[in-house]
Amino acid sequence: MSLLREAERCLANQHAHNLNAFITPLSRSGKWLDRVKEADQRSEKGTPKSAIDGRLISIKDNICTRQLPTTCASGILDKFTSPFNATVVEQLEGAGAVIAGKTNLDEFGMGSHSVHSRFGPVKNLRRDSAGQEISAGGSSGGSAVAVAAEQCYAAIGTDTGGSVRLPAAYTGTVGFKPSYGLISRWGVVAYANSLDTVGILGTNTSSVRNIFSILNHHDPRDPTSLSKSSRSRILAQLQNSPLSTRLTSKPLRIGVPLEYNISELTPSVRTAWLLSLAHLQKQGHTIHPVSLPTTKHALSAYYVLAPAEASSNLAKYDGVRYGTRGDGPDGNGQADGVLYSNTRGTGFGSEVQRRILLGTFSLSADSMDNYFIQAQRVRRLVQRDFNAVFSAQHPLFDAQAVDPASVGAGASAGAEVDVIVCPTAPSSPPRLSDLTSESGQSSPLDAYVNDVFTVPASLAGLPAISVPVTVAESSRDSGADIDELAGIQVVGQYGDDELVMSVGELLAGNRLGEQ
Amino acid sequence: MLAPNDLQIAESPAIRTSRALRFLPLPPAIAITFRLSMLRPRPRGTIRLLDRFSRPVTRPQNLYLQFRQFSSLPTRSAPTPTPTSSVQPDSDRVPLRKQLKQEAKALKAQKRQRKESEEASREIWELTVGVEIHAQLDTTAKLFSRAATSTSDLPNSNVALFDLAFPGSQPEFQAATLLPALRAAIALNCDIQPVSRFDRKHYFYQDQPSGYQITQYYEPFARNGYVDLYDYDGIAREDGERIRVDIKQVQLEQDTAKSQEYPPSSQLLDFNRVSHPLIEVITMPQIHTPATAAACVRKLQAILQACGAVTTGMELGGLRADVNVSIRRRGEAPGNNHYDGITGLGQRTEIKNLSSFKAIEDAIIAEKNRQIAVLESGGVVEGETRGWTIGSTETRRLRGKEGAVDYRYMPDPDIPPLVIGEDLISRLQDTLPTAPDQLVVQLTGPEYGLSIEDAKPLIELDEGARLEYYQDVVDALYSIHPGQDDTTRAALARMAGNWVLHELGGLLTKADRAWDSEIIPARSLADVVDHLQRKLITGPTAKQVLAVVFEGDHRPIPQMLEEDNLLLRPLSREEYLALAETAMAQNPQMIEQIRSKNQLGKLGWFVGQMMRTGEKGRVEAPKAEEVLRELILGKA
Repeated sequence: MSLLREAERCLANQHAHNLNAFITPLSRSGKWLDRVKEADQRSEKGTPKSAIDGRLISIKDNICTRQLPTTCASGILDKFTSPFNATVVEQLEGAGAVIAGKTNLDEFGMGSHSVHSRFGPVKNLRRDSAGQEISAGGSSGGSAVAVAAEQCYAAIGTDTGGSVRLPAAYTGTVGFKPSYGLISRWGVVAYANSLDTVGILGTNTSSVRNIFSILNHHDPRDPTSLSKSSRSRILAQLQNSPLSTRLTSKPLRIGVPLEYNISELTPSVRTAWLLSLAHLQKQGHTIHPVSLPTTKHALSAYYVLAPAEASSNLAKYDGVRYGTRGDGPDGNGQADGVLYSNTRGTGFGSEVQRRILLGTFSLSADSMDNYFIQAQRVRRLVQRDFNAVFSAQHPLFDAQAVDPASVGAGASAGAEVDVIVCPTAPSSPPRLSDLTSESGQSSPLDAYVNDVFTVPASLAGLPAISVPVTVAESSRDSGADIDELAGIQVVGQYGDDELVMSVGELLAGNRLGEQ
Repeated sequence: MLAPNDLQIAESPAIRTSRALRFLPLPPAIAITFRLSMLRPRPRGTIRLLDRFSRPVTRPQNLYLQFRQFSSLPTRSAPTPTPTSSVQPDSDRVPLRKQLKQEAKALKAQKRQRKESEEASREIWELTVGVEIHAQLDTTAKLFSRAATSTSDLPNSNVALFDLAFPGSQPEFQAATLLPALRAAIALNCDIQPVSRFDRKHYFYQDQPSGYQITQYYEPFARNGYVDLYDYDGIAREDGERIRVDIKQVQLEQDTAKSQEYPPSSQLLDFNRVSHPLIEVITMPQIHTPATAAACVRKLQAILQACGAVTTGMELGGLRADVNVSIRRRGEAPGNNHYDGITGLGQRTEIKNLSSFKAIEDAIIAEKNRQIAVLESGGVVEGETRGWTIGSTETRRLRGKEGAVDYRYMPDPDIPPLVIGEDLISRLQDTLPTAPDQLVVQLTGPEYGLSIEDAKPLIELDEGARLEYYQDVVDALYSIHPGQDDTTRAALARMAGNWVLHELGGLLTKADRAWDSEIIPARSLADVVDHLQRKLITGPTAKQVLAVVFEGDHRPIPQMLEEDNLLLRPLSREEYLALAETAMAQNPQMIEQIRSKNQLGKLGWFVGQMMRTGEKGRVEAPKAEEVLRELILGKA
């Protein structure tokens, strides 16, 4: 199929489905058509710019584009167009890709179901067994649905605490969050800078890998972008050590974190996990229980740190220099009232306001020590947990600085593993009606629990991928007669992004449990 | 008519210039106008956002007038009433001279009274003051963007994406801004920290685009410095010859936008200033007199300027000061408060944004007296932030403790730690310009022999340019006749000091011109001094030549003296005798007085007569006096 036909089919799909995946869809005509035709010509001549030359790639609407608005799904930016392109947009266009539109999300990336959007909730292409609409996951739900519904070749999302992996798991796509600092954040609207990463969503791991290779470069405009020298040092460490033979000649040691077997885990997800492990074992890899004892505090730490940074990052939205102003006077009319309270009160949605308040509280002088500082300590412990179970050393971690008492502590002593395999989410997607109705059963806290398996890798800055596996009907004891889809997550040591994608590839798309 | 207050204001030139500067010289290119309901609540429905991205057509008249009043007072004398121009009924008129005299007298009495009451209260109450100053660093780039720093460019012409807090933009630390900051910290004798970090200080205000200021709260880049203040720095007499004020820390931070008020409901914002690098210097609360506090800020400014760390001083808005003030009764149990490790202090208040040295001194006096009045009437001093309006007599409450801003300091997650190497510090140490105190020692030492009164202004005037010029003149004088002995050199250096400071200074003041080393080239001034010193021209001729050069005559001095026939052709003794006799014939009475009552001072009158009648530029006063003494008193 020519690139042009593929693009036209994506365009048709964008307009055919009523999934609300896009805030700004691709226009029916425009320069992009010529660009795809040119890519077709290059492809015929055998001189494509890259593996994604002429492909349509969707961009989450919290990533800046000069040509299309960047709303962050917020009322305060609902008419905002950025004066510059994000580095990732420049990189993709430089490689010949065409921006397929801007996808819907939870406002500023805050949410797990893509329902907190000024432009309405994203709908999953799938339905549950009762035919009810279900959550697409969040916050990159629009990007995931756009990929699942073939409205684009692949999509770019952002992952702060699981925002790429969770929607990938819910939509049956591949979602990859690289190591922190590998992909530039210049032009990515900050939610929680120390956790934010750009992630990639695709139908398979090879498309994700192709895009990653284009985005995985140092960017001097992003002060948190990993330097060129660190990149080459990490590469050298991976190539010139016993680590280089992993997966090629040596079987992998797969870690199974015992703490992840929580009571909230639904049976179908647990089955998918077990079958995935069995699948890997069958291929000659070995399974090892490991302990990540701080996991149970990780979620709380995340929901202190991320809102704290968010409350700071979102202070800039006052409607003065850009963005949408509230009607009427600026303040609330009180003598000592707060400046911009009207604009911010009407511009931000409820979840964003909730997290701003949470963050403002945890940073306030009286609670700083009990919340923010404590959460930072937990974050360190989470990192230490991972370092203790991975056989590869953290390349940015000064070996001299490791506390000898902490090394080898816990159940994981001697059980050093190459990757960790676990579910992406503890349960299958909830119904949209449960999430959006006023009297809905779910509270914000229920939504937060969905992030329990994705947050630890975010806190530690580690690479993680969610791949879809299918559990055959025959291996389940439920009454339903359709195959169950689940997301399985692979987490690796910092810089082990290639290995994480390779292990994901071993599992992705497999129909497990067939005799 | 001038109120005493106005006179007080007029006395401080700093106020005049800072007032003038608040008004941007150019109309803003992008002006953002919006209502400021936090400051001035207004009923609903009033116009908001009237002309966003446009600028007001007219300037508010009242402000403009006020500005003119301030600027014209000190520079131009009040119009002298002429007898014919009187339109007022005579009975209302007080002659201006008399009026000014009365006011000056009243002011003097007021000052004396103030001094006495200050003295009395000081015996009962001990004052404690700490100072914080914010100084704009002399850098070409902003702290976190590549946009240029500017103070005079078209408003909003030097603004990067990050300066306006555009979504998705990130900070880019400009390493070069570190150099002046480090020079300042070294000059203030601080320990430079090998690792320091940047934090966000949150508050909502229209001059703060990102909703936070990036500063160094938890880990500043320099700590534990000190500044020595000497008697010649203007410290209070009770502080003796020298006191040392410790510096707690020096931190790097961003400046805010410049806002310009257009009452009642408009503010114009110039984002050129956003992220201009600042250093904040925080002293320990170790100062006990208002004069010393002002001297401390003046000294800090002089040090920062001398080491090339800052652009402009307080008078041009490049430096702003906050002070914290507390009092405690002498001889009583120590207070319960401690600040920066100093215990036993009374509850302190903060006075924000003082923009002149006089304002610092006045505000501290006023705040101290307010606290005394509160305590003496049985009240309690509240920990609060207060403001000071120039010319006022009281500080005013800005916000109290309950309204205290919680800045929610948070480490900036985008900015890596600042790592400063030993090699950089030692290199800067080696290349640091001489400190002002050391310059004072040099200039008043045997080599230059200047008085402290001349040395100080020479160092401080024109941000060091005057001193540089002086050195050029001295160097030129030495080079005209190499190999002079030390005494001659010192004499030349002292003479040069006088001419650079007073003669040249006088010409500048009279012509109302700003300093420019090119008006009179250093070599020309050196030639004038040289000729004078070698008695080849008279003093009056030297002054006259200097004035001619000042007016733009660029001939070399020797050529000018030759062509204009200005070189001294000494008069013969006979010529002096003739001149003296002519003069004496004019006033025999006075001669009698000199002789009988030994009123030698009256000789001067005759010298003057001789200078006047003699050929211009040829009569040398000492010689004329010598001849007169001989003739009148019979002494050789």
